[in-house]
Amino acid sequence: MTVSEFYDEIHGDYKGTLSRFLTEERMRRFALKFESDPSYDQLLDGVRAGDIDSAFRAAHTLKGVCQNLGFDWLYEISFEITEILRSGSLDVQRPLDELKTRYGVVMTAIRNMKNDENN
Amino acid sequence: MASAKEIKREKILIADDSEMNRAILADILGGDYEILEAADGAEAVKILQEQGHGISLLLLDINMPLLDGFQVLEAMNKSKLIESVPVIIISAENANVVAERAFNLGVTDYISRPFDAVIVRRRVQNTLNLYGKQKRLTELVEEQIVERQKNNAMMIVILSHIVEFRNEESGPHIQHIRIITELFLRALPSVAPQYNYTPEEISLIGTASSLHDIGKVSIPTEVLNKPGRLTPEEFSIMKTHSAIGAEMLEKLPMYKDEPLVKTAYQICRWHHERYDGRGYPDGLKGDEIPMPAQVVALADVYDALTSERVYKKAIPHEKAVEMIKNGECGSFNPILIKVLDKVSDELYEKLHNPDTSDDDEDMHKIAAEVMKQKQITASSRTLSLIERERKKFQFFAGLSDGLIFELSYTPYMITFMNDGAKRLGVKDIVLNPDKDEVFLKNCGLENIKEITRILRSTTPEKATVEYVGNTMFDGEVRKCKLIAYAMWSDDEVPELLGAVGKIYQI
Repeated sequence: MTVSEFYDEIHGDYKGTLSRFLTEERMRRFALKFESDPSYDQLLDGVRAGDIDSAFRAAHTLKGVCQNLGFDWLYEISFEITEILRSGSLDVQRPLDELKTRYGVVMTAIRNMKNDENN
Repeated sequence: MASAKEIKREKILIADDSEMNRAILADILGGDYEILEAADGAEAVKILQEQGHGISLLLLDINMPLLDGFQVLEAMNKSKLIESVPVIIISAENANVVAERAFNLGVTDYISRPFDAVIVRRRVQNTLNLYGKQKRLTELVEEQIVERQKNNAMMIVILSHIVEFRNEESGPHIQHIRIITELFLRALPSVAPQYNYTPEEISLIGTASSLHDIGKVSIPTEVLNKPGRLTPEEFSIMKTHSAIGAEMLEKLPMYKDEPLVKTAYQICRWHHERYDGRGYPDGLKGDEIPMPAQVVALADVYDALTSERVYKKAIPHEKAVEMIKNGECGSFNPILIKVLDKVSDELYEKLHNPDTSDDDEDMHKIAAEVMKQKQITASSRTLSLIERERKKFQFFAGLSDGLIFELSYTPYMITFMNDGAKRLGVKDIVLNPDKDEVFLKNCGLENIKEITRILRSTTPEKATVEYVGNTMFDGEVRKCKLIAYAMWSDDEVPELLGAVGKIYQI
């Protein structure tokens, strides 16, 4: 799977990200690194524990990371969650389910890209 | 082998709670810089405390745990580091309030998410260039000022030594007069607040004091160097030196309106006046005698008493102080007698340890004063002086047992050096120690409260405190001693910023 195909798969912004990152190599490297970014898990933990502060911070970080990587589809939903949490509400179940779905798609695509690389 | 270029790579601190974001920034900036990373605000403050203006640039995220970006900026404002370390904020917050607040706190520029490699590199490079240029210019000007001041002081010392040279007993007299004069002037406000000389004025009076005896060039050698008592006639010749010295300065073709020359005039003419009005040449009484001349008069008497002469032995320090206090050697302003009492120990210390680097101290105080008055940025010389002190402190502290800490009140946190935290069983950085459970359990709330109380009772002049208490140390509760140096701000009403110190078992 090429980097361009990967971005198509996850509804990301290939062109914009390339213009900011300058090389495909860098895009691939950091896209793969996203697999180990802890903010998604921290967000789920925060919401589960009812800890609005740490949930907000994690959502905010996740949003920032997605924005940097040009993961637009994932960015949009994490943006929505961040704003709900910022307003002081923990009522995020619906967008959180959507986030889980999209996150799953991204993770699968990352693994596919990694496997292709290894083959 | 490391090349010179590699050694001089500029250090950039990236403070962002997302490891991914730090990695992207570090990658974009590439190998041209040495990158340091902080995962939260407290860690950023700790690194800034340790490295000071060794950091060339800070890339700062606003939303971070423990301390947020604003709190880091506030700490940098308190320590004045904001004036020498440029900060670029990283933010996805496009809200104007955030940007405005950050700029008000001294931020230079911002990088918004998503990161654009070209823009990140450009902004970092521009900021570094700008600050580098300013820093080099400041250094250049400073070097020249230091050089010029040194030359000026040197010329004066040489000239006054030529005068003293004829006077076969000169020795380190001029240097002593200057040290004593400056010491007295610094201590004056604690006894009489109306005599509050600025560090610049004190330095000027100290320099002028070197010229107090220039009139002696006109005294015949037989009189000047006569072993034993002078006849009344000889004494009246000797007495002309103060008026003559003043006249020499008054008749200078240039510079006579310069503050230095005007002050030297007062000192030359009136350093043999007496507070009771029975001195010479004008018989001025009490406050008619300008304070600089009064101080030099006392310094002159003290140094004459404690120095050896052809016709007499040196009198010990304590005895000389006693004699002056009892009015056996002239009549002095009661204010100055009180100051003498206060600085007596320090006086002895300063004259017998000429090694104490007063010059640096002066430069530092003058720099601080100029900064306060003229609102210029903290010069890198001032900062490097502070840094040097800090390093010295760490070094000496490291030689002996015990653990080193630094306490700050804004933000309220304690940081421990080396393995200090481990020995107390606490974290390296303890934020809000009065609320940190582990810290309270191991070190005790009473101890913290008491130490804060003692620190508050110090003054910038008397900043060292000691405290004994029980605390967890190397795994069990032990009796320990804490020695700390309170750090006060330079403001008119000094504010307690924090303390540095060490803790050891007794």
